[in-house]
Amino acid sequence: MNSKIQNDIKELVEQQVISKESASKMEAYYQSKKVDVPNRMFTVFGVLGGLLIGLGIILILAHNWDDFSKSIKTSLAFLPLVLGQVFVGISIFKNKNNVWKESTGTLLFFVVGSCISLISQIYNIPGNFSDFILTWILLCFPLIYFLRSHSLAILHIIFMTFYAADFGYSYLSNGKTPWYYLLLLGLVFPHYWQLLKYKSAANITSIFNWLFPLSLNIVLGTFVHKTSELGVLMYVVLYGIFYSIGKMPLFSNLKLRGNAYLVLGSLGTIYMLLLTSFDLMWEAIKKTELVYSSQEFYITLFLLLIAIGILIYGIAKQWISKIDLTHYTFLIFTIVFFAGFNNKYIPLIIINLLILAIGILTIKKGADTFHFGISNYGLLIIAVLIVCRFFDTEMSFVIRGVLFLGFGLGFFLTNYFMLKRQKEGKMNLKK
Amino acid sequence: MRTIHIFILFIVVAIAQIFVPINMILGKEDILAKGQLYKFKTRPIDPADPFRGRYIALDFEVGLYETKDSTWQRGEDLYIYLETDSLGYAKVSKISRVLLPNEKKNFVNAKARWYNKQSKELNIQYPFNRYYIEETKAYDAEVAVRNAHQDSLIDTHALVYVKAGEAVLDDVIVNNISIKDYVKKIGVK
Repeated sequence: MNSKIQNDIKELVEQQVISKESASKMEAYYQSKKVDVPNRMFTVFGVLGGLLIGLGIILILAHNWDDFSKSIKTSLAFLPLVLGQVFVGISIFKNKNNVWKESTGTLLFFVVGSCISLISQIYNIPGNFSDFILTWILLCFPLIYFLRSHSLAILHIIFMTFYAADFGYSYLSNGKTPWYYLLLLGLVFPHYWQLLKYKSAANITSIFNWLFPLSLNIVLGTFVHKTSELGVLMYVVLYGIFYSIGKMPLFSNLKLRGNAYLVLGSLGTIYMLLLTSFDLMWEAIKKTELVYSSQEFYITLFLLLIAIGILIYGIAKQWISKIDLTHYTFLIFTIVFFAGFNNKYIPLIIINLLILAIGILTIKKGADTFHFGISNYGLLIIAVLIVCRFFDTEMSFVIRGVLFLGFGLGFFLTNYFMLKRQKEGKMNLKK
Repeated sequence: MRTIHIFILFIVVAIAQIFVPINMILGKEDILAKGQLYKFKTRPIDPADPFRGRYIALDFEVGLYETKDSTWQRGEDLYIYLETDSLGYAKVSKISRVLLPNEKKNFVNAKARWYNKQSKELNIQYPFNRYYIEETKAYDAEVAVRNAHQDSLIDTHALVYVKAGEAVLDDVIVNNISIKDYVKKIGVK
């Protein structure tokens, strides 16, 4: 047990805050919690071992041993694969512990990749990287469920993102959409769902909470082909969905570092709004002829329906605040987006006002809850908005300087008054 | 689900994991055994692949095809119909977006890279543009072949087996010997 906790318990008993009985109960609780720790550490080292051995095999085989005959090279490609399978087979058949399952699973994942790589190398099969990765993940995904392995699920998400990015963003991928990504996402989702259902506060779930939205964030752009302006709207709606998901009771009770949906949703929304607060985007929209039968349009519509569905459900269940403007940003943006096809000034004004309003409401929320982080985030939003406006307005240096001074002062004063109010609050509580 | 059921399912997956690479080998061996051999004149350079190691990236003289059709899209699938010239090297007979049912000539699947409107040439990416080589020899091979290429008397070409659209690059030949032996013989440093 942590010696600090031990000292605290001792002090609490001495000061007669808790009874000796409660103290021994607390000590027993912390002792039982500690039993899990070495096991977790072994799992981490086991996975790292599996990962390093797997990567080592790939690198050794990538040397391309010219002196070996084709048949020896082929046998060498299959040897690690069969060994990896034997280890995983033992893990399953003997129902070994998590350390075994995680490390042998990781090892098998990499030796499957190394086997396919070596065969490609022997027969000079050229680099269709996305096909190679797709085959690799599809051959390994059942192991996630056979072994109940988190590390394999993490590798699955990382590699499926690689696959989609290579398929959709590479030079020769013009006009191609990585639809298999959706299948791969669906294949790993049940594992994530189990974690959310039974271990929502665990650290491992936090990792998945980050990986899922990050992967979607990276890949969404591959679904855009011709009308890139619709891609902007797609991202705004995606961040709207993230933000609403982040406010679900399942996630809103988590610490901020475990709630990537909220963090990415908020940052993404602000980023997209700042990006579209320049007139470049709206000039491009004016010149674009919107095709309603395009793939981008259908995907945007689909995302929009999901976002609106979550919003209505959230309001009905009362976990979405009616005054939190970020929730409604995607809706306002969608209306402005389609209205902006004729005129660039109206959308520009609305977007700028929207950022300003979100900034002010965030500061207010921070002040009301005595949360310095939130209020400074609000100030930062407004500060960045002003910096952005400096790029496209011909304001004199003096006015810019005065505005910056004013903002610096604003940061200081807001924090000062909040600190003062907090101190007063504490004093009143003591009285 | 009971352990034995999971184990049986795992055996099925393990067989699939072995079957996929074996199927790759069988497909390529079939092309090597039954495919038609072509010689492609080449110009190599030397990059690396994170998983498969060093290779020589090959650029072929038949990589450019003169055509008036300027509607080619990047990444578009092509069927390249092949023939051989008087010196025995591969030559593009025609290219098509669709499979030509009455065409008797052998073909290989490829992709369009870009169309040059000025020279009216289509740049083609062939599916056999990588030749894997031991990492210590890759740079030497690149230098050797570059030097050989500057010397117009030295012939460099790739031996490619082609069967019904699929192709296997068997070897790269410099001055009538395999590039692996050529690098050893010349001892480029």
